[in-house]
Amino acid sequence: MLHIVDDEEVVRDSLLWLAKSRGIQAAAYDSGKAFLTALDGVGRGAPQGQCVLLDVRMPEISGIALFGQLAARGLAQSFPVIFLTGHGDVPMAVDTLKRGAFDFFEKPFNDNKLMDRVQEALAASEQAAANAAVHTRLAALSSREREVLDLILDGNMNKVIADKLGISMRTVEVHRAHIFDKMNVKTAVELARLLK
Amino acid sequence: MKSTLPRSPSFGFPSRKQAWRWLLPLFLALLFVTTLIWLPLHEKHQETIERQEQLIADSLWVEQTIRFQLQRNEESLGLIGTEIVAGYLNGPRLADRMERLIRDNHEIHRIIELDAHGKLLSSTDETLISYHDLSAASRRAAERARATRTPLYSQPAQDISGPVMIDYQVPLFSGGKYVGSIIASYLASSILDDMVPWWFAQDNEIALTDMNDLLIYKRASGGVGRDVYTHTRALNLAGLSLKLKTNSIKSAPKLLPSLLVDIVILLSFGLVWSLIALWRDINRRLAAETALREQITFRAAMENSLVTGMRARDLDGRITYVNPAFAQMVGMEIDDIVGRLPPMPYWAPEAVDEYQRRFSQVLAGTVTPQGFETIFQHADGRRIPVLIYESPLVDDTGKQTGWMGSILDISERKRIEDLNRQQQEKLQASARLATMGEIASTLAHELNQPLAAISSYTTGALNMLEWQHDDAVPTEASSLTHAFQMVRTQAQRAGQIIRSVHTFVKKREPTREAVTIKELIDSVMTLVELQAQKYFVAVRTGIPPGLPPVLADRVLIEQVLLNLTRNGIESMQAVAPDKRVLQITAGLDDATSTNIVVSVIDQGHGIPPEVAERLYSPFFSTKADGMGMGLSICRTAVEFHGGTLTHSDNPQGGTVFRFSLPALQKDLIATTMPSGEKTQRNGK
Repeated sequence: MLHIVDDEEVVRDSLLWLAKSRGIQAAAYDSGKAFLTALDGVGRGAPQGQCVLLDVRMPEISGIALFGQLAARGLAQSFPVIFLTGHGDVPMAVDTLKRGAFDFFEKPFNDNKLMDRVQEALAASEQAAANAAVHTRLAALSSREREVLDLILDGNMNKVIADKLGISMRTVEVHRAHIFDKMNVKTAVELARLLK
Repeated sequence: MKSTLPRSPSFGFPSRKQAWRWLLPLFLALLFVTTLIWLPLHEKHQETIERQEQLIADSLWVEQTIRFQLQRNEESLGLIGTEIVAGYLNGPRLADRMERLIRDNHEIHRIIELDAHGKLLSSTDETLISYHDLSAASRRAAERARATRTPLYSQPAQDISGPVMIDYQVPLFSGGKYVGSIIASYLASSILDDMVPWWFAQDNEIALTDMNDLLIYKRASGGVGRDVYTHTRALNLAGLSLKLKTNSIKSAPKLLPSLLVDIVILLSFGLVWSLIALWRDINRRLAAETALREQITFRAAMENSLVTGMRARDLDGRITYVNPAFAQMVGMEIDDIVGRLPPMPYWAPEAVDEYQRRFSQVLAGTVTPQGFETIFQHADGRRIPVLIYESPLVDDTGKQTGWMGSILDISERKRIEDLNRQQQEKLQASARLATMGEIASTLAHELNQPLAAISSYTTGALNMLEWQHDDAVPTEASSLTHAFQMVRTQAQRAGQIIRSVHTFVKKREPTREAVTIKELIDSVMTLVELQAQKYFVAVRTGIPPGLPPVLADRVLIEQVLLNLTRNGIESMQAVAPDKRVLQITAGLDDATSTNIVVSVIDQGHGIPPEVAERLYSPFFSTKADGMGMGLSICRTAVEFHGGTLTHSDNPQGGTVFRFSLPALQKDLIATTMPSGEKTQRNGK
């Protein structure tokens, strides 16, 4: 979901139209405050990729300040921010990049290129979310299960694993089932891919 | 600066040694003078004494003479008396004898013989005188003589005959009995008149007085006595004591030699005074010398410590003196500069013509008193703007011996002037540019919005149409319509923005008038020169006389000239100083001869081809702070007049910008109206 934050209606409208023309789901907010309010309502760790498109200059909460708020909430990764800047705001924008913003575009910008980048951001965000999810699941594994996981990833057969760990094969199979369950995968291949 | 004063010994005023040297002669002189004063006084004193002594001696001698004479007479009379007593002498023989005595001794006035009864027996003169006719004093003396039986003199007295007389009574005794007397009478005056030699009487007044100083007789043949030298002697005669008073007629010594000495003394005083005056003069000179040396040292110190350079030249232009500040200014040693004739090593090559011109002006004496600005070249090659004041160097006889110049390094001043001017220019330019800048930034900002929106909508629409193409998904016509409607709205908005901004642009209606190229160039020359001086560029103009005028808007063409010259000057910033020359020439375009072509030629960095393409494009600038309007405006302005603006490379390096303007035909009588209309009478 692309979140467009700009105080100008024309900008919001045209960008929404642009996003729609690229098949990107988008929502627009007329101020940083509105966006933050909406953000609180959105569940954390939503599987969908997110992206925020901000104008640097806005009344009340400026784009920079809004980015600051996101970073403070630890959402910089899951809500990558792309800035829209005027000619004189480039240094400011560069600074935000250093602080973790995803990108910035100087006006007037190439619309499709912007949308391409938005898609990349969405993908990145999704990926990040997915990674986060994986991490959570990994954390849920017990230490024994972790050991088994490592051996599975090495491509070992259950028997070998049992021998290595000094447990019965049955136990290994049980662990395996739990791991798959917890990691929400069906096969070892999936597991491997997930953990790449 | 080397001191040219001769070394003089340190002359104190007055050092002890010097005072000693002066003291001795002064002392001797004083001694001399003292001696001279004392000597005459001493002499005078000596002379006085001498004279006195002489007088005394003479008086003594006179007294003795008188006495001897009287004594002789006494003896003669005594003898006569004796002979009378003896009976030898009587009658005529006596008379004869008495006669002879008187004759031989004029001092005796009369001799008479009296008998015992006092009756006259004989006399040497006719006076009949007897005892009773004698003066009382005489009778008294006679009685006393008789009593004492010795001859005696009487007191001076008058008897019947008249004058004062002194009688010498000689009593005659025969056998102890008084038998008569012989009386010799002296005139009181005769004693002095006859018995004192004339040479003594000549020099002295002699007086005969009695013991009580009662004057008997005075002889003053030589004159009255001066009472300076006097002497009194007693003249003791038998029975009579008189005083002989001599009184020299000579006054005190005249000091005639002393008069000479007085003159000498005067001269000595004069000498002393001269010595003193000389001493004072010498000291005054010393003081003057010291003051002069101080002055010179002070002046040298002044000249050496001046920040302003000083340069003296003789009438040929040869440098006779420079002060350290000048030498420092041009980075050369003083010795290297003094003695040189033009061209000078500190003359900047690009300004040589200017120097020569001014130099000949200086020689001709037509120099301006306000001073002039020019450029000098330091030994290390850098240029120094200077301000020079020249004035004639006149010696104390009023003759001109050269030129004196003071040179001030005005780099700092120029820098500040420049800064100020730049500020001014910026202020003025910004007033103009502000509008331009405002417009530009406003436009940029305002137009950004609608343009971005237009871009987004149209991109979106194109994307949609692609989709439709690819996925055969029917695009919602409504959304497309919406998009294009928005596009239209935004485009209109953009137009509106431009229109509203447009009202801020004050477009000056250009007016055209007949001007000559020379006038146009002259009117911007000051500004061009200023700009040129800032970058040490020399400007040369070459405008042949007799060019026809053009019909042009003054301000626009001035702007063109300013722009082109500024570009040319700025292009030569990094070029060697001797190449920094900007030329502005004008002439008729050979091809058509109806255009006047003005060329602005620089020897700067030139224009590379990639820049040349976009040279006249608006908003294209090679300068960091350039708006990029210059050349495009120039071209527009020139083309507005029906001319063209072109540029080409200068074969010597640099660029030549050329613009042409149609010349006003001589037979075209045109009048311009204030609104810019042009009416032609002979349409050609």
